[in-house]
Amino acid sequence: MKRLGLIAIIIFGGLLFSITFELPDLGDASSPASTHVSPYYIEHTLEDTSVPNVVTAILADYRGYDTLFETAVIFSAGLACFFLLRIPERKAPKARFYRHLTTGLTLRIEKGGRIPEESKEFERIDSAWVPNDVIINMTCRLVVPFVQLFALYVIAHGHHSPGGGFQGGVIFGAAIILFAISNNLRSTTRRLSEKSSALLGSGGVIIYLGTGLLCILLGAGFLNYSGLSVFPGLDPVSARSYGILIVEIGVGIAVTAVMVWIYYNLASAGTQEEGL
Amino acid sequence: MSLLAAILIISGLFFFTGGSIGILRFPDFYSRLHPAGKLDTMGLLMTMTGMALYTVQEFTLAAIFTSLKILLIIVFVFITSPTATHAILDAGVRAGLSPWTAPGKGERE
Repeated sequence: MKRLGLIAIIIFGGLLFSITFELPDLGDASSPASTHVSPYYIEHTLEDTSVPNVVTAILADYRGYDTLFETAVIFSAGLACFFLLRIPERKAPKARFYRHLTTGLTLRIEKGGRIPEESKEFERIDSAWVPNDVIINMTCRLVVPFVQLFALYVIAHGHHSPGGGFQGGVIFGAAIILFAISNNLRSTTRRLSEKSSALLGSGGVIIYLGTGLLCILLGAGFLNYSGLSVFPGLDPVSARSYGILIVEIGVGIAVTAVMVWIYYNLASAGTQEEGL
Repeated sequence: MSLLAAILIISGLFFFTGGSIGILRFPDFYSRLHPAGKLDTMGLLMTMTGMALYTVQEFTLAAIFTSLKILLIIVFVFITSPTATHAILDAGVRAGLSPWTAPGKGERE
């Protein structure tokens, strides 16, 4: 059986390998892709969509279907992590630890013990708590807003420079994860809870899908943003430009939320109680 | 200006080379972090300054903006790179890795 598998692999691998010689060379000017497809996009993108960045226009407009399902794939990756890792029942932990903020005293509360949860004096800490490092904390606090600003810039400036929803979303998610690493998981989920990250993740996909459906309702094809030109102040060309922007924002939201969601599940081993 | 930029970039590359040799040759984790943290930051500082000077040669608004962006890279790397080194080193200490000592110079307890 093993030998049979090896023979099959050699035959089909050799077949694939021999076929690669038939493919046009990289950058071959006379290949079909370079003679028909690329010149069309290069020549018509600006007049069709008024977007100077050809890559963005192809990604979000000419091949909108492809990107829609890419976003759906990212969302389902987050969903898969959720289903595989998340521990559904909220078992009460054996002991909880609290730290008195002014004195640094640590309290261990056994199961059934009581402490005012919303106390200003005490802060809940992880069982594997390590003292906060001032240098790392301050640096991350300094850097995170700039990283987020840069992420928004990458999303919004995708029309003119390299960038767009996927890249900006990843940078934004990395900023939130950086905050979670430098502080702790609990203070991060207080700001962006698991539920809202899941809702944002699906919301991003829905923004994309909703734009496409809106185009149908307005009488154009699915994801044909020129249908949006019924709104005041838009002609078909600029409507496509704005349609691309809306779609990129949806992609950015989805990617950010899914990144953070996956991080929550991985860092806390599914409990979402405490983690890195 | 071009000459100055070239000198800066070449000396930055010199620092990078020293950093790579140090990472390869030093005996243990902590001493390897030393060239990784210091020399890479210094090398990047010098090469990026050289590039900023090279860009600003033709004195237009776009060139000035580009070189300002390069200077921003320097600022952020200057803040974050030593912090990253510090975080890695801190993790090493907390994991209980003891530093290397020269053989024959007396064993550590």
